Amino acid sequence: MSIPKAQVVVYPGSNCDRDALWACKYVGFDAEFIDIHSDIDADLLVLPGGFSYGDYLRVGAVAAREPIAQKIKDFVDRAGLVIGICNGFQILVEMGLLDGALLQNSNGRFLSKIVELEVLDNTTPFTSYFLKGERIRLPIAHGFGRYVKTCDVNTVVRYVDDVNGSDELIAGITNANKNVFGLMPHPERAIEKILGSDDGLRVFLSAFNYIRNNGGVRL
Amino acid sequence: MKYIDILESRLGRKATREEIEAFTVMWSEHCGYSHTKGYIRKLPKAGTGGNAGIVPLDDYHFLAFKVESHNHPSAIEPFNGAATGVGGIIRDVLAMGARPTAILDSLHMDKIIDGIIEGISDYGNSIGVPTVGGELRISNFYKHNPLVNVMAVGVGKNEHLIQSRATSPGQVIVIFGGATGRDGIHGASFASEDLTGEKATKLSIQVGDPFAEKLLIEAFLEMVEKGLVEGAQDLGAGGVLSATSELVARGGLGAVVHLERVPLREPDMLPIEILISESQERMAVVTSPDKAEKVLAIVKKHLLFGAIVAEVTDDGRYIAKYKDEVVLDVPASLLEESPEETIYDYTPSSPPKFKWIRFKNVDAHDVFERYDYMVGTDTILPPGFGPAVMRVKNSSNSVGYSLSIHSRADIGVQDPYWGAYITVLESVRKTLSVGAKPLALTDGINYADPDIEPMGLAAQIRGLKDACENFGIPVASGNASLYNTYKGKGIPPTMVIGMVGRIDNLNIPLPKKGPIYAVGFSDFKLEREKELLTEITKIVNSGRFVLSMHDYNNLTTFNHVLNNLGLHMKIQPPRTEPVHQMIIVFGEAKTTVPSRKIGYCF
Repeated sequence: MSIPKAQVVVYPGSNCDRDALWACKYVGFDAEFIDIHSDIDADLLVLPGGFSYGDYLRVGAVAAREPIAQKIKDFVDRAGLVIGICNGFQILVEMGLLDGALLQNSNGRFLSKIVELEVLDNTTPFTSYFLKGERIRLPIAHGFGRYVKTCDVNTVVRYVDDVNGSDELIAGITNANKNVFGLMPHPERAIEKILGSDDGLRVFLSAFNYIRNNGGVRL
Repeated sequence: MKYIDILESRLGRKATREEIEAFTVMWSEHCGYSHTKGYIRKLPKAGTGGNAGIVPLDDYHFLAFKVESHNHPSAIEPFNGAATGVGGIIRDVLAMGARPTAILDSLHMDKIIDGIIEGISDYGNSIGVPTVGGELRISNFYKHNPLVNVMAVGVGKNEHLIQSRATSPGQVIVIFGGATGRDGIHGASFASEDLTGEKATKLSIQVGDPFAEKLLIEAFLEMVEKGLVEGAQDLGAGGVLSATSELVARGGLGAVVHLERVPLREPDMLPIEILISESQERMAVVTSPDKAEKVLAIVKKHLLFGAIVAEVTDDGRYIAKYKDEVVLDVPASLLEESPEETIYDYTPSSPPKFKWIRFKNVDAHDVFERYDYMVGTDTILPPGFGPAVMRVKNSSNSVGYSLSIHSRADIGVQDPYWGAYITVLESVRKTLSVGAKPLALTDGINYADPDIEPMGLAAQIRGLKDACENFGIPVASGNASLYNTYKGKGIPPTMVIGMVGRIDNLNIPLPKKGPIYAVGFSDFKLEREKELLTEITKIVNSGRFVLSMHDYNNLTTFNHVLNNLGLHMKIQPPRTEPVHQMIIVFGEAKTTVPSRKIGYCF
């Protein structure tokens, strides 16, 4: 088969788009940027971090209502893989592709540091390279990362310590089909040891090999 | 002689009301550097000058960098004052054709002012430029006059280096970015006064919009990438007037500015208000008429406002019109020729015996964990270790650069000359401590009232000059903030030095378990400095982590950083004089200077 293809959706105000593209290319994806008017032609779609539309309204709320939103929903229905990181997670929640809500950190402040996480579900296409229960280190950088549950969700990673007041220390979840993954920590910032951690590399490797093994969804 | 008399004698007639408004801005200390340009001219320089300093990094890339103060606005309105300080300096770096890659901040205040931290955090985080380092100095000296000095750094490709001038008649100037409102009118003149002056109101404070800034960064870089930019300048103090007149005056040219074309947020602005408004997130781009439509298409694509506002002329006149009405018609060069104040010769003496004036010991984590220091995935050495280290992705032989920002106001208050001198020396040591070779520096002069104490200012800049000359460090850019006074009482002479260094080996030594040594001398003798610098380089090259600080009793932040690595240290901090020649080394080092075990890391 052809090389797995990733597209990174650049919303106005996205600022981790270049880091996400770098990470996708680092593990071997054929990767490119698309914008809110583009069509989707990918096996993996990345909704990157940042401050879409300045996050002047509710975080992710404006981006979730862009023309590309319906195309993303169709892509999810076709079993395409979607990962939303930080602001991308907030956008997925606003789009209704993931349950729950992301509110302001319990201390009211933006928080930027490397934190310890525990992998709870290694059966998703994004986490097959991890062991169940494994402790990993990923950077966080967010002001609105407090996850609030509205129903039962499939928790994939949770914080070891309470960093932002999230329900059940939830840091990342998938939908029921496990093809949509949203998380507040930044795996794309942890792909090289020289950056302080390379634990995030395996998120992209897992997705890459899942597509390799199961075939992509490009039309 | 009052400036109004100088102006009228240069014009040969009475000045109009609009001319008085315009020259109040352009000849303010903030824009015109009247008290400092005589001194600055004598500093050893690097690069060609422009919006920010430029030094070559490798065969393909240049570094653009500059420090700028936003002291007066931050005193009155901490959040927006500090936020727009970040925005302004980012655009200076951007205007050179470089992608902004890092922010550092030097903060002096009497306690942690939440609004200032929040302003920097909110703006820097949103635009996606990591805040990778800084210094936090807490002292009552700054009770009424907090100092907010922000340094921005960018990396550009050599073929994208943009001049800060118009080059030929017939070019046009596009103003683009956010829309223009009344905010920040006379901000430049307010920033040149005692804080009890009548201009110290919130009306002079600009308001920040980081979303617009982020769009502006991407739009401008796209224009640069496509070869559409022939010259550029950001709009800061003095707004349209300052940006357009500087662009043409530097090229020995003139301009006709059409103020009715400037996109407005407030519809009923007077022409002179449009000319001098300091609304943020705007830039001026010099381009050819045939490229202007492409420039405007990019502006529109990035959801910004823009218009062709001026034509470049060859008659040297700066003419601002509103429709057919001439608002201003003066020689462009006159706007740039702010009067020069007398400069003084300072004769340095040998360093006196300094007293310890300790600033409050705080854990800087409380501040820098509110800044995104990792976005961009180029931060190799995060805050807390000393200088930050950044890499350049896709560079030949993986080049990197070190960044530090440092000051010694505790010494400056005792002796302004040595305060500045020692700050430069300690910055060199810090740069070497991460294995970097110093390239150049940017100076942030912060001073009280030069009319009352002119000699302190002379001494401060002389200290900078002598240190730079003696240790071969050129000055690439700088900023001066004077009149940091409240009811006539001023701050200590505070010279903030931002230094950049080049790194060829990105495997920076990190702290490791084992013995810890104090290496060097607990006092200061200038003639020993070069030996110490050589030894630092040798020790770092042997793979040892080196910590170079001025006060080893103040290790709270460093201890926290060590804990983040899963390490702890138990040491007897070396006792030193306030100015010393001592470093801390993790592991035993072969060295020609005295070395003594002080504890261990576990």
